[in-house]
Amino acid sequence: MDERDLITRVRAGDGTAERALYDAHVDRVYRLAYRLAGDDALAQDFTQETFIRAFEKLDTFRGDSALSTWLHAITTSVVLNGLRKVKRFRQREADLEAADGVSGGPRAAEPDLKVRLRQAIDALPPGYRTVFVMHDIEGFTHEEIGVALGVETGTSKAQLSRARAKLRESLADFAGEWVS
Amino acid sequence: MMHDDDKFNDWLQEAAKDYNPPRPTPREEMWARIAARRSNRRVIELRPWIRWGLAAAALLVLGIGIGRWTAHDESGVSHATPVASVDTAGNRDVLYQVAATQYLSRTETFLTGFRADLRAGRADTRFTGQARDLLTTTRLLLDSPAADDPRMRVLLEDLELVLAQISQLTPGRDPHDTDLITQGMDQRSVLPKLRSAIPAGPVPLRTQGAS
Repeated sequence: MDERDLITRVRAGDGTAERALYDAHVDRVYRLAYRLAGDDALAQDFTQETFIRAFEKLDTFRGDSALSTWLHAITTSVVLNGLRKVKRFRQREADLEAADGVSGGPRAAEPDLKVRLRQAIDALPPGYRTVFVMHDIEGFTHEEIGVALGVETGTSKAQLSRARAKLRESLADFAGEWVS
Repeated sequence: MMHDDDKFNDWLQEAAKDYNPPRPTPREEMWARIAARRSNRRVIELRPWIRWGLAAAALLVLGIGIGRWTAHDESGVSHATPVASVDTAGNRDVLYQVAATQYLSRTETFLTGFRADLRAGRADTRFTGQARDLLTTTRLLLDSPAADDPRMRVLLEDLELVLAQISQLTPGRDPHDTDLITQGMDQRSVLPKLRSAIPAGPVPLRTQGAS
């Protein structure tokens, strides 16, 4: 079914069309939510909230961008707002890990590169982390990221560059992994 | 020769693939909850219309009363001329149609959620209370003109059986009990029949004289 027809039918209250729209986009929305949230329950909540808002606001979709881009803008907004609410809990977890000496320190103290990389990405400022996850992990273009986050394409590129620089700094102990 | 930054970026992209790796999308579970929340909102959104409908009906009754009263002459003899004609049978049918559609939507949402949570091993006793409420409505509808349609009657009878089974589930139940319920639903195609009985779009609501 053509996307425009689908949108028209959803606007008319057609439940089958709502389900078709959901099926067409849910995988990418859920993946993005999961990558950013790192938690299945949160990712499910964010995905549900994204679609509920999308169905309610579909009348405001003007078609200037692809529907998927519009949906991803809602997704990032829902996820980032949601994560702000749980930030305190996350911060507490990070503090506990730091107290255990697992974040930072020489390589000998933390042999698992995957764990260190995850911690380094988690520690990025939210804007840098979002752009890094969307571009380097989920394969969004800078144009798509710009629309989704409401920023210029150049801003997205700059944030990605800074995110990579910070990660390189955090993972300096592992330089041998990529310098060969 | 590859620049050091490029080497790092390539390595980083590869290594970061393991960052928060998503599990397969739980489509049905999430859809069941989305449908439930949207269904609740639709009912809430409909409430002002119901109030308006009731107000309009009250006004109509008042109008008929005044009309009948003014149709009497001074001698108190009625001309027996109707001054307002009301299609009461038609109105009644519309009311039952609205009630039946709302009920079917709620039941569909409930059974979809019940099945999804059952698969996820999360079905709990809150389902029994909801099933009891829906069961009461089912029996009322079975005794109403909504059940005059043979297909609707068969569907309501199937739903009555399923809801009665769910309402009797106990916390320490045998998993076999829930298997029997879902098997019964599948054998009688309860959910597909239920979904096809729900008209697409918002719940029908007509006012007097609307075509």
